[in-house]
Amino acid sequence: MRFKFNHNPKPLPGDWLVIITSLALVIVMFQQFWSFEHASKLKIRQGNQVIGTYDLNQKRELHIKGKIGESIISIEQGKVRFKQSPCHNQYCVHQGWLSLAGQVAICLPNQISLQLIGVKSTYDSLNY
Amino acid sequence: MRLFIILVLGLYLAGCTKPEPLYNTQSYVFGTLVDITIYGEPESRAQEISNQIIHDFQDLHNRLHAWRPSELKTLNDEFSRGSTPVTIAPDIAAMLGDATKLSIQSKGSFNPAIGELIEAWGFHHDEFKSIKIDENKIKNLVQANPQMTDIVIENGKVFSKNPNVQLDLGGYAKGYALDIALAYLRNQGVKNALVNIGGNIIALGKHGKLPWRVGIQHPRKPNAIATLDLESGWAIGTSGDYQRYFELDGKRYCHIIDPATGYPAQGVQAVTVLISPQNNAGTLSDVASKPIFIAKPDARAKAAKTMGVENFLVIESADKILVSTAMVKRITWLDKDAAKHALQIQP
Repeated sequence: MRFKFNHNPKPLPGDWLVIITSLALVIVMFQQFWSFEHASKLKIRQGNQVIGTYDLNQKRELHIKGKIGESIISIEQGKVRFKQSPCHNQYCVHQGWLSLAGQVAICLPNQISLQLIGVKSTYDSLNY
Repeated sequence: MRLFIILVLGLYLAGCTKPEPLYNTQSYVFGTLVDITIYGEPESRAQEISNQIIHDFQDLHNRLHAWRPSELKTLNDEFSRGSTPVTIAPDIAAMLGDATKLSIQSKGSFNPAIGELIEAWGFHHDEFKSIKIDENKIKNLVQANPQMTDIVIENGKVFSKNPNVQLDLGGYAKGYALDIALAYLRNQGVKNALVNIGGNIIALGKHGKLPWRVGIQHPRKPNAIATLDLESGWAIGTSGDYQRYFELDGKRYCHIIDPATGYPAQGVQAVTVLISPQNNAGTLSDVASKPIFIAKPDARAKAAKTMGVENFLVIESADKILVSTAMVKRITWLDKDAAKHALQIQP
């Protein structure tokens, strides 16, 4: 049996379907991931030291010693949060889950910062 | 199709270029996070320069601390004791002179002489708690009318005509430090850097071929509301009700106090100002947001104009966002709701 290729330069209806669907998919993905790209890594700093860079796609709890005590940072399949902190105001805990590239949570009293990193960073620094 | 393959290959190859000459360091000074990024310098040199900047910041912070023993605290103690002139360091004298001019320009809504009010609201602590509001005390402190113009500096000595003047440079020092850092970086021949002190940022040069890009934090969500390119010499600063505040009976009290009423400003979540290159761009990025934050809703554009600010963004609530016509051209919204609710205003 021989396949017969269609050398007709005119695209068939099925081709158009494929082209249009692909274009739509590209546009949707571009909007989804360009401005709000999901982070793949997490950088934790204490004071002026980088404690480490962690894969976000895991389930893990980290206990980090800070300036005033121990903070518990919880990583859960693509997102991270301050689960517990020895600070008074608990702003860091109230920030909740972070999952997007460029997101930052800082505990000033305990001097611990979480920074989410993607393939391409949306911005260099955050004004807050 | 061949073109497509070449493009894809090109993208793969672009991913294989050597790492960027980008150095970044963080430290905690001024009770906040300091983040320094230097592009295009050897790592050892970038590190040396960053360390010096952080050292200078720490020194400035120690000298200007409002509630621990410091040069500023000594001046405050002397002011409250009487009007005997005491020696003042030339750079602090210059700072006070500059802050006085800005205070006059803001018609008193930027007033670093209200240290007693800030103390009365409990913000003179590293970890402040909600306080019991003492209405009479606040009323008296407002009536005492401490002003920067009460301060007299002559022949390297300073005194205050008003014993209630208590300096708190919390809304000035971080911006001033940005200007000092920029001058130092230029002096050292650094071409590209980004310095961030607690959210106030100043840019020098670029990040490689592209301008430095900064995100503006959403006041109620853990993500950026918008981004903008911060070109060389430009500075950005935000005053928000979400960094230092406490809640009492369901009401939020932030650290930005209206000197006219003695109470924390209400009805606004964040004010961002973008300052064009000038000698004190960093200082202005810190100072100029306060009068806009404190102003009544219909007077915000006027307050911006009074401070010479063309580019500003005011977030009153999730569905009320004001953005100046100049600023709208510079920002890219990331938050779709915000983009929908943004109203343009002409300063």
